[in-house]
Amino acid sequence: MVGKSGNRLSQAQAAWLLLAPFLITYLLFLVYPFFQGIWISLHDWNLLEVAFNPDAKTFVGFRNYERVMWGRNIEWGLFTAPFWQGLGFVGLALSVFLRRADRLSRFNAIALGVASLLLVVLPGFHPGEEGRWYDRRFWPTVGNTLVFVGLAVPGVTISAMVLAAALNRETKAMGALRTLFFLSQVLSVTVVTLIWQIMFSPRQGLIANITEVLGGTPINWLTDEQFAMAAIVIATIWWSLGVAMILFLAGLQDISREIYEAAALDNARGVKAFWYVTLPNLKRTITLVVVLQIILHFQVFGQAHLMTQGGPNDTTQVLVRYIYQTGFRDSELGRASAMAVFLFLIMGTFSVIQFIAGREKT
Amino acid sequence: MKRGYYWLVLGLSIPAFLWLVPTLWMVSLSFQPNDVLARSTSTTFFGLIPFPFTVENYSALFSFGQTPWWFLNSVIVSLGMTLGILAVSTTAGYALARLDFPGKTAITVICLIGLMVPEQAAFIPLYTMFADFGWHNSYHALILPRMAVPIGVFLMMQFFRAIPKDIEEAARLDGVGWLKIFWYVMLPLARPAMMTLAILTFLYAWNDYLWPLVSAQQRDYFTITLGLASIQSNFAQSEGLGRVMASGVVASLPVVILFLIFQRYVVQAMTLGGSKG
Repeated sequence: MVGKSGNRLSQAQAAWLLLAPFLITYLLFLVYPFFQGIWISLHDWNLLEVAFNPDAKTFVGFRNYERVMWGRNIEWGLFTAPFWQGLGFVGLALSVFLRRADRLSRFNAIALGVASLLLVVLPGFHPGEEGRWYDRRFWPTVGNTLVFVGLAVPGVTISAMVLAAALNRETKAMGALRTLFFLSQVLSVTVVTLIWQIMFSPRQGLIANITEVLGGTPINWLTDEQFAMAAIVIATIWWSLGVAMILFLAGLQDISREIYEAAALDNARGVKAFWYVTLPNLKRTITLVVVLQIILHFQVFGQAHLMTQGGPNDTTQVLVRYIYQTGFRDSELGRASAMAVFLFLIMGTFSVIQFIAGREKT
Repeated sequence: MKRGYYWLVLGLSIPAFLWLVPTLWMVSLSFQPNDVLARSTSTTFFGLIPFPFTVENYSALFSFGQTPWWFLNSVIVSLGMTLGILAVSTTAGYALARLDFPGKTAITVICLIGLMVPEQAAFIPLYTMFADFGWHNSYHALILPRMAVPIGVFLMMQFFRAIPKDIEEAARLDGVGWLKIFWYVMLPLARPAMMTLAILTFLYAWNDYLWPLVSAQQRDYFTITLGLASIQSNFAQSEGLGRVMASGVVASLPVVILFLIFQRYVVQAMTLGGSKG
């Protein structure tokens, strides 16, 4: 500033100097790849051919998206998938009704409404007579991913919430129990799948051994179409309960003691207090945990890739694994990138929801 | 009241034990001889007690096979990534939180948007890009892409924003330059936040699977996480169950030890990083 600062940097110069290392890596390894991904998705781009000859790609516009997501003679019907569409209508009605009755914040009502509308519209598409999907595996794969999310998210959320409510005391014993429940969270996905692959093994598995002692017949968890998805969900809940539990514990700390004391005067203790006092006060934490878990589990890859290899009969084939296979086994980078863009759009939507939900909290 | 509490602890110990069983089982199997395991995995109390006992699996692990090498790769990659992320995040976080310059809001928003891009949406173009450079099968290929994720920048930015301004202003009045203030005044204050970020990064790096799977195709450049995946599909024929389990234990030891020592930071880090897996 004065006198001795002859060659001193100005504030802006210092700022750019400090920002430069991050901005360069950010532009090179995140921004550029992101746009390059969209660019690749507009090409017929074979991994091996382009590697040997950079001109071996052809621009095809949106054809990859059509080849992945669309088909010939696709029609839309109101009663194509009565269960899911019916569920969507129920959701729509609920969102309007609960909003009217003021049981739902505007944000939650809109979220529920949009999700329900999608549930009404999307499953309605189906190939008409003599029509077919160009890619028979894509939508079932998306469906499997949604089933996985639909099972893992409530599983994690509910068990984490119940555990957090039970463990919400500052004593040594409770601290030790919290540590135990959190421990599996730090393991890598390959350790988790290693453990559970053998846990579920019908010949060597611990679960099979216990079933046999109890006189039952062991289940072929990972190769039975009925149980494979359940097995992956169980391993996932075991793995990812910890963070949700900690978020709930933080949420519980914010509920003041006085509310519980007042409730106790009204004879609301234990389960009753949990239902009438804890749950309503945890609403925001629940939203946060659910959205975080949806984002996290929509990217499921390792569990399906290592435990079941997407099988049996594609019942555990999930979106990221399909992208990986399309790109690196079939070398169809264009199509794989189109699917990756689809994934980004879904995850981006939930990230925006998370951002808004996070803002509502403060 | 007191009695209810003891019942609660007792009641919770049962699910807690069940929660621990899969991990215990892995550890126990790793201490049993392979020929026993080939016949039965439930010799003593469903195999949860390692009897007959042996440490052969561990000595075999370290005398031949690639596990020690993979372990070393993991250490190098994880430490490299941790140092790299600390360097770019503290500097950028400080600049965005404390310095004024034209375009600051725009840069902040651009970085914020990057939080929404999942790894899976960028790994294909990253693959072709690194292939063009001939960078695959190297340590920097495993480290660099992760350094572009802005979560650390935001963590540090939020931390620096919370530090009172007068500390900085006192230094400014003495004519200290911005870089010196960053280095001598702000960085020492940022140690707890840096610790949290370091642990978050180390855990992520150690457990990362998808990008190493795509980028490291030579077994010499496998991380332990990737190596473990490569041996678990055909463990029965080649390595023996006990040895694979021993690899699993070795692969988990650093993160478990880190967790037990720095539990508070780990919990904080994983809660903050929850959104980015």
